Amino acid sequence: VLSALFPHPAGCALAAQPLRGKLATYGSFCAVALAFFAPLRAAELACKITDTKNAPVADAIVSLVPLDAPPPTLAPPSEPVLISQQGEEFQTFVTPITVGTMVTFPNADKVSHQVYSQSPAKKFAFPLYKPGAMPTVTFDRPGVIALGCNIHDWMLAYVVVLETPWFAKTSADGTATLTGVPPGRYRAEVWHPRLAKTEKREITLAAAGAPSAPLAFSLALKPDRRIRHSVETTGGGYK
Amino acid sequence: VAARVFRFRRFGYRVLALLLALLCAALGTTFWLVSAANAANARAHARANLELGARYYAAAIDQRIEFLVGSASVMSGDDAIKQTLREESLDARTLASLLVSYTQRVGAPVIGLFDPEGRQLANSEPGMDNENAGPFAHLIARATQADMPQASDYSYLKNELHVLVAVPLYAPYPVIIDWFGLAFPIDRAFAQKIKDITRIEVTFVATENPAAPRVLATTLSDVAAQIVARAAVARRPAEEPVATLTLPDDDYVSLFQKQDLLGEAPIAVVLQRPLGPELAAAHELESAVLRISVVALCLATLLALWIARGVSQPVQQLAAHTQRIARGDYDARIALDRVDELGQLADAMNAMSAGLAERDRVRDLLDKNVSPEVAAQLLRDGAALGGEEREVTILFADLRGFTTLSEKLTPGDLLGLLNRYLDRMSAAIEEHGGVIDKFIGDAIMALFGAPVAQGDAADRALAAALAMERALAELNTELSAEGKTPLALGIGVNTARVVAGNIGSHRRLNYSVIGDGVNVAARLQSLTRTPEYHTNIITGAATIAACRRSPSSGAPSSVLGPPSSVLRPPSFRPLGRVQVKGRAEPVEIFAVW
Repeated sequence: VLSALFPHPAGCALAAQPLRGKLATYGSFCAVALAFFAPLRAAELACKITDTKNAPVADAIVSLVPLDAPPPTLAPPSEPVLISQQGEEFQTFVTPITVGTMVTFPNADKVSHQVYSQSPAKKFAFPLYKPGAMPTVTFDRPGVIALGCNIHDWMLAYVVVLETPWFAKTSADGTATLTGVPPGRYRAEVWHPRLAKTEKREITLAAAGAPSAPLAFSLALKPDRRIRHSVETTGGGYK
Repeated sequence: VAARVFRFRRFGYRVLALLLALLCAALGTTFWLVSAANAANARAHARANLELGARYYAAAIDQRIEFLVGSASVMSGDDAIKQTLREESLDARTLASLLVSYTQRVGAPVIGLFDPEGRQLANSEPGMDNENAGPFAHLIARATQADMPQASDYSYLKNELHVLVAVPLYAPYPVIIDWFGLAFPIDRAFAQKIKDITRIEVTFVATENPAAPRVLATTLSDVAAQIVARAAVARRPAEEPVATLTLPDDDYVSLFQKQDLLGEAPIAVVLQRPLGPELAAAHELESAVLRISVVALCLATLLALWIARGVSQPVQQLAAHTQRIARGDYDARIALDRVDELGQLADAMNAMSAGLAERDRVRDLLDKNVSPEVAAQLLRDGAALGGEEREVTILFADLRGFTTLSEKLTPGDLLGLLNRYLDRMSAAIEEHGGVIDKFIGDAIMALFGAPVAQGDAADRALAAALAMERALAELNTELSAEGKTPLALGIGVNTARVVAGNIGSHRRLNYSVIGDGVNVAARLQSLTRTPEYHTNIITGAATIAACRRSPSSGAPSSVLGPPSSVLRPPSFRPLGRVQVKGRAEPVEIFAVW
């Protein structure tokens, strides 16, 4: 399945959309794999993330850190995760991964690009590279890494490196589902690019079959300060 | 017509018209002056604002250019940027996308990169090909030629007005390896920004085609901007730069400026400020002046009517009072409670009434003490000493036996009898136009023909004498009836030229006559006592001669005399000549009956 996620660079434009949807449930795949070995039956947890105005919040990362059990051993995927560049934008805004995961940045654009990070969890910089090139980097420490392109100020992406296999990214309706989580006490964490500090809450999951209340968070988000790529507004007048 | 219009029937209207005319003139002049000053002030104010706005506009452009130059200098001096720009893998398309990033950093909508010869390497604006970017090449060529650190000018980019800035990329200074070309548009948004700060309307007009001027940018409506564009095209270079332009919504004080363009025909920059808001305060003031004027006119009207009433009412009172005085009511007094001229007039009228009353009283007294004719003569000619010679008929009457009578009667009875007698005699004399000159005890001296000349004086005197005789007869009848002694009298009548006039001292004088003729009359009266004459009335030849001369001879005047039926013409009986005391020649005398 994962080999299908690594198409030829020319086909990257087509592959980008399905890739994004699958990444959202990537954590669940890991959980399923782990649950196979788990002594207890795994549970499923629905999450609903909104802002203070009750609007759904997309691109929020929900993760669960076990409090009673030792942290589970992580098995990073053998193939890299893709964050492509297209239309002078990173094609995945927020990408959650586990520690040790490789990420490849294929240039599926018509112009050269550059990728750099000044975040403490992973500092790196690729030189300017032409369309077709696909440099790769491995994220070996947990944390949030902000990615930029030094010739296109508006380009921005986040990689969230986690130490737990139980995580999910909210879709446009603000929902996400965590599956294969063993019952027990957890610290639920929510991260979002516009959140000042990671939200944390202790929860207890019942065994599978017992219905558990959906995990709901209401986030106080900062204003969106992203630079807009204004190709369509260039020459649009005096500002 | 004017004379008819301005002939006022009432004093009040005159005062009203005068006051209102004066006030209207004063207020009208004030209003006009205020209006003119306000309008001039508003224009001056608008113009001052315009000039300020023009300076702000120029400063805004300069500031913007400086900012772009500063930003471009930071970029061109940045090592990382220099390296990025010189990177081998940097193709034109990537460079263009990089320049888009720079447009956002700098805030210039258009950024191009040019080689030292002015050839464009890339541009942030998608359609900005080499031809469209031509003005940048011009600017860079000019800057290179003049060895300027940077250059800026106005020009068209893709047919839109822009301000262009060229900043060199040094590696190292002063070696120019590239040029940044930046531009910002002079568009509606830019104009609006200037207007937001200065409240001034800005319009940019391309004037190269006078038949169809093109509005490049404006804060006005399209219709108004077209009017401004046509006005801008129609202007001559020597014309005063400020003019008032009428746009659909208001009059605008307009400042016309010329702006040179890089390699193109110059454009017109028109800065405008509406007069309406500037005049608003003035209009408020004017309407206040108008309101005050109306109030002032109303007050003036009331004041004028009040003043007029204050004058005309007492004048009407005075007129009414004058009419009372004219009717002879001298006792009436007018009371005006005021101290002004009208009050003085009222006082004067009262004094006049008093004076008239006094004169009347004096005249009344005079009438009693002297005969009415003498009184009238005195009042007419004054009581001056002096006289005139004239022909007068003198009548002397005397009671006979009065001395004996006075011994028999008590003084009171005597005086009563005497007054009764004199009253009748006086009446008879005055009836015939005679004037009582004086009473001398029981004697009466009367004049005919003085002080008022009478043509029939002699006739009147004789008629009066006969009337006296008859009146005495009547009195005697009454006295007999009362058991009293009847009276007898003698009358002498003489006509002579005598001196008539006021005789006496300065302090006291009488109107009288003196002369020989008077003595003769007295002598003739004395002669009546002569028993053989058998007459009570004796007259002289002169009187008879005067009778014959008079126009009414034989028929006394019906005007002054009693009805003619009662009268008969006097008859004369010659008594011969007698020697009169004091006269050399004997006098011919006649009995009258």
